[in-house]
Amino acid sequence: MATDMTYKQSVDIAIGNPKLSKALHLFGDAYLIARENAFRGLNFEEMRTELAAIKDEVRVRRKELLADFIKNAEAAGSKVFIAKDTKEANEYVIRLAKEKKATLIAKSKSMVSEEAHLNKALAEHGIRAAETDLGEWIIQLAGQRPSHMVMPAIHMFKEEVSELFSKEAGKHLPAEIKALVDHARERLRKEYFNADIGLTGANFLIAETGGIGLVTNEGNARLCATLPKVHVVFAGIHKLVRNIEDAIKITQLLPRNATGQLLTSYVTWIRGGVSADGGQKEQHIVLIDGGREALYESKACQDALRCIQCGACANVCPVYQTVGGHVFGSIYISAIGIILTAFYEGLDKAKEITRACIGCRSCVAVCPAKIDLEEIILHLRNEVTKIYGMGAIKNVAFKAVMKNRSLFHSMVRAASKLQRPVTEKNADDPGRRIIRHLPLHFMSRDYTEWRNLPAIAEKPFRDQFDSIVQKVDKPICRVGFFVGCGADFVYPEVGVSLTKVLNSFNVEAVFPKTQNCCGIPALYAGDTETGEFLAKQNVEAFTEAQVDYILCICPTCTMAVKRDFVNRLADQPQWAAKAVALSLKTMDASAFLENVLGASAKMRAVRSVKEITYHDSCHLKRGSNVWTEPRALLESSGHRIAEMKNSDRCCGFGGTYSFLSHPQISKQITRDKVETIQATGVKTVATDCPGCMIMLKGAVGKADPTIRCVHTMELLAETLEQK
Amino acid sequence: MTDNRVERFIESAKRVGATVEKTENLEEAVKYIADKAKGTTLVPVTPLVIRYGLKALLQNAGVEVLNKQFRDGGQFPGAGVTFSNFAMADTGTVVLESTDENIRLATTLPERHFIIVDPATILVDNLAAAAPMNALHEGNAPKFIAYITGPSRTADIERVLTIGCHGPRELYILLVENISSDLMEN
Repeated sequence: MATDMTYKQSVDIAIGNPKLSKALHLFGDAYLIARENAFRGLNFEEMRTELAAIKDEVRVRRKELLADFIKNAEAAGSKVFIAKDTKEANEYVIRLAKEKKATLIAKSKSMVSEEAHLNKALAEHGIRAAETDLGEWIIQLAGQRPSHMVMPAIHMFKEEVSELFSKEAGKHLPAEIKALVDHARERLRKEYFNADIGLTGANFLIAETGGIGLVTNEGNARLCATLPKVHVVFAGIHKLVRNIEDAIKITQLLPRNATGQLLTSYVTWIRGGVSADGGQKEQHIVLIDGGREALYESKACQDALRCIQCGACANVCPVYQTVGGHVFGSIYISAIGIILTAFYEGLDKAKEITRACIGCRSCVAVCPAKIDLEEIILHLRNEVTKIYGMGAIKNVAFKAVMKNRSLFHSMVRAASKLQRPVTEKNADDPGRRIIRHLPLHFMSRDYTEWRNLPAIAEKPFRDQFDSIVQKVDKPICRVGFFVGCGADFVYPEVGVSLTKVLNSFNVEAVFPKTQNCCGIPALYAGDTETGEFLAKQNVEAFTEAQVDYILCICPTCTMAVKRDFVNRLADQPQWAAKAVALSLKTMDASAFLENVLGASAKMRAVRSVKEITYHDSCHLKRGSNVWTEPRALLESSGHRIAEMKNSDRCCGFGGTYSFLSHPQISKQITRDKVETIQATGVKTVATDCPGCMIMLKGAVGKADPTIRCVHTMELLAETLEQK
Repeated sequence: MTDNRVERFIESAKRVGATVEKTENLEEAVKYIADKAKGTTLVPVTPLVIRYGLKALLQNAGVEVLNKQFRDGGQFPGAGVTFSNFAMADTGTVVLESTDENIRLATTLPERHFIIVDPATILVDNLAAAAPMNALHEGNAPKFIAYITGPSRTADIERVLTIGCHGPRELYILLVENISSDLMEN
């Protein structure tokens, strides 16, 4: 990416290239199937828990293990050098090359050498680095950087490759993949034979043996480690493992999770200087810190170094699939790339991309090292906000307005009146107004041309609750209803529906009036101060209410009460215990109905069967592991679910992401979702999240007004009314 | 052997593009190789090659066995023939201790690699390989151990699986009983 290009421009250019996005979507779909097959019969959850423990122990014992590794490698004849940064690492290789009078280094793939800009440093000293990994060679010829950790040239098409190869070869090469691969095979073979030094990375550094391991497919690393008489290993210090058994466990996860392979074509275990051309090879191991020690020391972010660099977090990321790795990343891309960029290149380099994460947690679900990438990214976003601020709109909205509950709520009520001139009746749902367009001084046309925005309800749920007559007789329990802003001010009917459903099971709903926003919008914007303030307000409101359970109808609110309130208040003894107590009795409404009340078993025998499709909200499925429950409830209440493709892929909402920070990316992600909904041919889409409803009602409404988007609680209430 | 690890190994290896043949004895395996090997063939000298006189057997069968330095056998020799140390059923992987440079050259440079595996050395899975791998690493001598799972492959252009990138394009695994059940030798 040209450095003079702004981040916003690079996003726009990427979105203007649908060919790339289409290729990444196809890859993402194929990846999910291949990965599922690769893990068949294995317990991914157990495997990744074990890997996380292995890597955590390495973190704790890293000094001792590093010393063991060095001792054992040296005993086998290796020379080990510890570089505090990539500059020192480059200098070591340059010095060695000069000493050997080397002019050519044959390289296999090494991400840390990309991080070090090693090729450029070598070139400045007249030493040519020949990339031999096919993808790396392609991008070297193109003068680019990798856009994916495992497949560096995933963003390029065969026509572009043919052009690059033809230019380099001085003859025309057809744009046929097999012919291009054959050309690379023949052309690069010379490099191994002519090179003075072979340089490889390492997937693991084994403390107990002093050996390294390489996990590869093409066979170039074996050639780089065999033909030249000097072997340089270029590796980050976080590649340490205790022993061979731990390394084997990594090889069980890495290829399966990276490409859906049970194992790569080659796993190569090398210790010391092996024989070469009648003599003995020299092996130099350059171990690079380059920000890793600082990352190990960061309590909030250290889990990131469990990463085994499989690239899965990119493969499943809707943002990556939309804009690619050159926009969503730096040397390292996608979710893990945000974190590594912040530590290896500096927070300023990461400040745009920390905001580019939509927060869907699909990366967290597939991470083989069980890294809560989203949580770490949120932490970094907060750090970015502390230094660079979060923008004027969010500043006023969160700090001045949201913290003041009555001001916030009366402003929203007032907005319901003020929006009149810009709303119109919804053709699909005449009782409900939608925003036709927004005043231009507030937001650009970009925000409404592709979706209808919901109007703020005339009477929020908090003002309706007292007038709801609850039909309960000696209720079996009392539940506190944490309504959330979406249902409170936009879709109060969802709250009314939940109350009806609860009453039908003889459960009483309680609505503590002093509850406020869960604080997630502020937190996601990096404003933890407002987040903490709101957490306290809510903890107080619900502690006073003395209820048996707390239910949310917004999965993001559920995560806030269950996870974030506890984290936000952990260091304040007078709040921490209360937050934990609330967390333990908080759950999503669907989960409560199904898991506590056993509702689906009690709802059987319904007359009609209506066909619907179901969209899994990111935070419900991956935040609370709830996805079978709403399906069971819907099916037992007379609905047949026609599953859409990728039902748990993000809808593109992401809160302020779709309004303020990245509406242009949201638009693309939402379009994918609308297409998959339309492909089912079903006219009702249910979901359990008011945020998804805002996005889907708006975008589906524009695409096909005959499709109805509805909360699961509304469908349940309708069924009960029919009874 | 009580489990079906041989069948499982064959299935896994075939799935990743290896050709697997059960042969009655070494002579039959040699015949098979002679039929498929084309051009210069690298046969590194190892304890099992010596014990079975594999070089002579191949030569007598008409294989063009290279009798000089392997580095002088051209950048694209036709074939390489080796025994193996052991194999793993879950992934269809063969393991070859390759510390001697000639073994490495014979298995990385040629167009096709023939590898003779004694079914008695097939381990149930990758984790079961930890013990022999540790045994191979005893002491502190330099070591190079290769796991080979199918032929060389890439998906670096448009994510299309393409066989034969930098390593052998074809991998032939010949199962021959009673060669050696010692996982430490090849």
